[in-house]
Amino acid sequence: ITVNRQMKNCVIGNNRQKTLLIDQGVIPRLLQWVIDDDVSIELRTEAAIILGSLAKGTEDHANSLIESGCVSVLLKGLLNSSLPFVEACLRCLRTLFLSPSPPEEHIYQDATIVPHLINIISKSICTQECITTIFANCCKTTDDQNTLCGNGAIAALAPLLNSPTYKVQMPTLKCFAVLCYKNETVSKTTATATYNGEAIPTLLVKLLARDKTSEMQMAAAKCLTYLCRGGALPPRSNIILMKTLPTLIRMCKKDRTLGENVEGAETLAYLIEEDAELQQVASISDHIIKTLADYLRYTDVQQINSRLSQRKVVNWSNELKQAAFRAFASLGANDEEIRKRIIETENLMEHIVTALSSTDIKVQVGAARCLHSLSRSVQQLRTTFHDHAVWKPLMNLMSKESEELLAVTSSTLCNLLLEFSPGKEVGIQPRQKTILELGAISILVKLACKTEVSMRLNGIWGLMNMAFQADINVKTQIIEAIGTEQLFKLLSDSNPLIVMKTLGLIRNLLSSKQHIDQLMKIYGTQIMQAVVFILEGDHMVEIKEQTLCILTNVADGDEAKGFIMENEDVLKKLMTYMVHTDVKLQISATSCISNLVWNEEEGAYNRQSKLRELGVQKLLQQLLSASDPVLFDKVYMYDKKVSQGFDVGIEEIVMKMLQVDAGEIYFIVLSECIKNTPKDKPRQQNRHINHAHINFDTFATTTKYQNTPKDKPRQQNRHINHVHINFDTFATTAKCHNTLKDKTRQQTRYINHAHINFDTYATTTKYQNTPKDKTGQQNRQLSKNY
Amino acid sequence: MNFGSSVEKLEEVSKEEWTERLGDVHPTRTEMNKLIMNYLVTGNSNKLIMNYLVTGNSNKLIMNYLVTEGFKEAAEKFRVESGVQPSIDLDQLDERIKIREAIQCGKIEEAIALVNNLHPELLDNDRYLYFHLQQQHLIELIRDKHVEAALEYAQTHLSERGEENPEILSELERTLALLAFENPEDSPFGELLHPSQRQKVASELNAAILETDSTPNLANLLKLLLWSQEELDKRKVKYPRMTDIATATIEDTKSS
Repeated sequence: ITVNRQMKNCVIGNNRQKTLLIDQGVIPRLLQWVIDDDVSIELRTEAAIILGSLAKGTEDHANSLIESGCVSVLLKGLLNSSLPFVEACLRCLRTLFLSPSPPEEHIYQDATIVPHLINIISKSICTQECITTIFANCCKTTDDQNTLCGNGAIAALAPLLNSPTYKVQMPTLKCFAVLCYKNETVSKTTATATYNGEAIPTLLVKLLARDKTSEMQMAAAKCLTYLCRGGALPPRSNIILMKTLPTLIRMCKKDRTLGENVEGAETLAYLIEEDAELQQVASISDHIIKTLADYLRYTDVQQINSRLSQRKVVNWSNELKQAAFRAFASLGANDEEIRKRIIETENLMEHIVTALSSTDIKVQVGAARCLHSLSRSVQQLRTTFHDHAVWKPLMNLMSKESEELLAVTSSTLCNLLLEFSPGKEVGIQPRQKTILELGAISILVKLACKTEVSMRLNGIWGLMNMAFQADINVKTQIIEAIGTEQLFKLLSDSNPLIVMKTLGLIRNLLSSKQHIDQLMKIYGTQIMQAVVFILEGDHMVEIKEQTLCILTNVADGDEAKGFIMENEDVLKKLMTYMVHTDVKLQISATSCISNLVWNEEEGAYNRQSKLRELGVQKLLQQLLSASDPVLFDKVYMYDKKVSQGFDVGIEEIVMKMLQVDAGEIYFIVLSECIKNTPKDKPRQQNRHINHAHINFDTFATTTKYQNTPKDKPRQQNRHINHVHINFDTFATTAKCHNTLKDKTRQQTRYINHAHINFDTYATTTKYQNTPKDKTGQQNRQLSKNY
Repeated sequence: MNFGSSVEKLEEVSKEEWTERLGDVHPTRTEMNKLIMNYLVTGNSNKLIMNYLVTGNSNKLIMNYLVTEGFKEAAEKFRVESGVQPSIDLDQLDERIKIREAIQCGKIEEAIALVNNLHPELLDNDRYLYFHLQQQHLIELIRDKHVEAALEYAQTHLSERGEENPEILSELERTLALLAFENPEDSPFGELLHPSQRQKVASELNAAILETDSTPNLANLLKLLLWSQEELDKRKVKYPRMTDIATATIEDTKSS
């Protein structure tokens, strides 16, 4: 024992001695003692203490211990009845679990270990400290969380939150955090557990108090954050809104340490990530945006822990940056006003662009997240994003292997690819060119072929956005890159969103007369196959509607019309949809027919007579008579918001159809129609725009518009814009663009919708209808201003 | 009188800053001991501090003082008489006293061995503290004129320290510089040989063992009192000033 004591005094605090002893092969000998029941307990304890001291040397020392099988020997030692010996073993184990590569697998290898640890946790302050620390560092996966929770860890840990010993409370808080992180079951178990009649969340709130150390406030706020995101605490509850959120914001302040700043901002980002109200509240709390903006300007790289043996170099500049980016991303996730305030941060875009090319992956991800969030703003897309070359670094990032990065960057790319230009706006074309040169198509195609749903979706979505108003070269490139085979695969995807986007891509490809004819000449057969494939399949209404829209576009081409006219099967299908119970499908199908019978085009007479033979005219008359009470009602019931738009839409189309025989009279009637409502004119016009979106009407309506008001050049301009709108699947977004000049505020609102869709799920047609709310919203905003 | 104009109302002061500000005021240990004695004997003479400030917790305050300052026997007696339980096991006091005594006698290696027995992780966790103990050992060797032993000890045990941390290196250099003087006590680094250096190390170790700031609560309270009085004086405010801590004598307002 004396020799051992000497060895101990010599080893403690001396890394050089530790290396020397380890090199001499002392570890196996010590382990032998620890495990040998015939050796006196004092000697065994001393041996365990020496092992503990060795573990406190460098990382290499800890690794040598782990490699020598130290962990299982010590775990076995825990079964001994001598408390000092057990404590020595636990101390050594704790040190090993705090090392950079903790041997967590040993804890779960033997099913009796976790229950035993929980069993002895309350024996002494030392066991409490050590076991909580071990748990906090060995709980990495959902399985780990469930195993610990299933063995009663929560009931065993709850009393320790109230421990008078700080060194017990802290690892206990860390335990709760790792247990609840992204685990709904454990979170709910934790939130409902009580100790001495007090619920764990209540106990945690007590630790948020300002007389506790920053470290403890931070740790408690983290637990509550995880409970909230785990679905166990409502985001609007007092605990979150009035306690946790303010604590986190406090942690971001300058008077806290850099580490707390980073952790505070990261946790804040996580807490508010998905709740718009929390984002709102956070954004106006204590100048948080300004505080975070300061993070971006921090440039020092500092060393911490100079007092301890292990010194860690932390790049605080990078840490702070990525934390600020993450927090910005969450803050601006939903609200345009907040986004605006974020973007006003000095040099923010420069910081993001630089950060995208950083060597630190955390900084890259943070910047990409921030960019993604900000890219939901059309205004920013057209201004700030336009002025800064975010493309290049973003595309560079996409070629990296990181999954997390790819998910964020591809979503961002989708948004950036949205072309809002109504025509050939100068300056935007080069941008698209740049993206193309950077190989965007092949990247997106690669994504569209991935196995992960989200990646496929982002890929096809990006392609769809890219095809919008693209020139024929780009379109051909896209089709060639993805190939018809892959398109068919995507059309039979089990995820309806992906099918929607694929159809959207086809629709965007088939825009403008020339392109339609050109592309149909090459891919006509396949496209028609695809259409029939979807129309015959069992799909939701929105998908069928998209498909009918494709047909409508096809019917707009000159030669392309033939693909429909010669396919009686398709014609009959169109007729069925004209009397379909769903109004949207009726309208789409009718629009297609309308394009086919359009008077001014070559061969119209033949097509008209063929359709008449099939009985289309009868159907139309039927529709019109129905549209008085029944259809009108149906439309009205479908969605109150859009009822007006619809009723004008269907009546108009049907009316137009009925004019087919009468030729010239059609125009007279239509212009009469418009003239009859002079007072409402501007509003009606808006309505036209709306239902244009609803209809997904193509040239039929627009040509008409172009022909009508010769005398009003301004209006004509607007109509021309419609042409473009019609081709957009995300009609709202494009529409917003049209109203840009006159209604900035509203515009941003719609854009929000469209972009939110981009991330979650999109029932785009629904949102397109929202303009009807316009007046109401405006009023509300006004009253707020007062 | 108007406080608002000179004091920023919303100023937030962190605990560290606060402690630092208080750092300049020093109630002496003798004063405190007298105060305690006063309380123990009269039980009421210093109501203002004891009862007013800590509302009825005076006994706990006393116990805290006795325990942190290491008055073991007094603490034991006080426990019996007042019924207040000390926050830690009084036997631990013995160990801490032993360690303190060892350092104060210059028996550093003995102190290290004691610490390692009681708190095996302490010196591994706090290498800077460990260095101070080792440095003290070196100082003791130099004091006893064991020049060779001192050099050897510095080489085998302390050079490693210097490599780890540049701060340590300069402290080490200062210590070794003592060897260069005929009468190190008179050298510019003579203070290292002063008994206060031992005190300093002993206190640092004591604080580390207690894991917290080892200033007794009573001392903190008195510091607050003295500091407040100083601030009030600076602003020429009239108030009943406490002139003698030991007896808690309070002046009349007008005399200020």
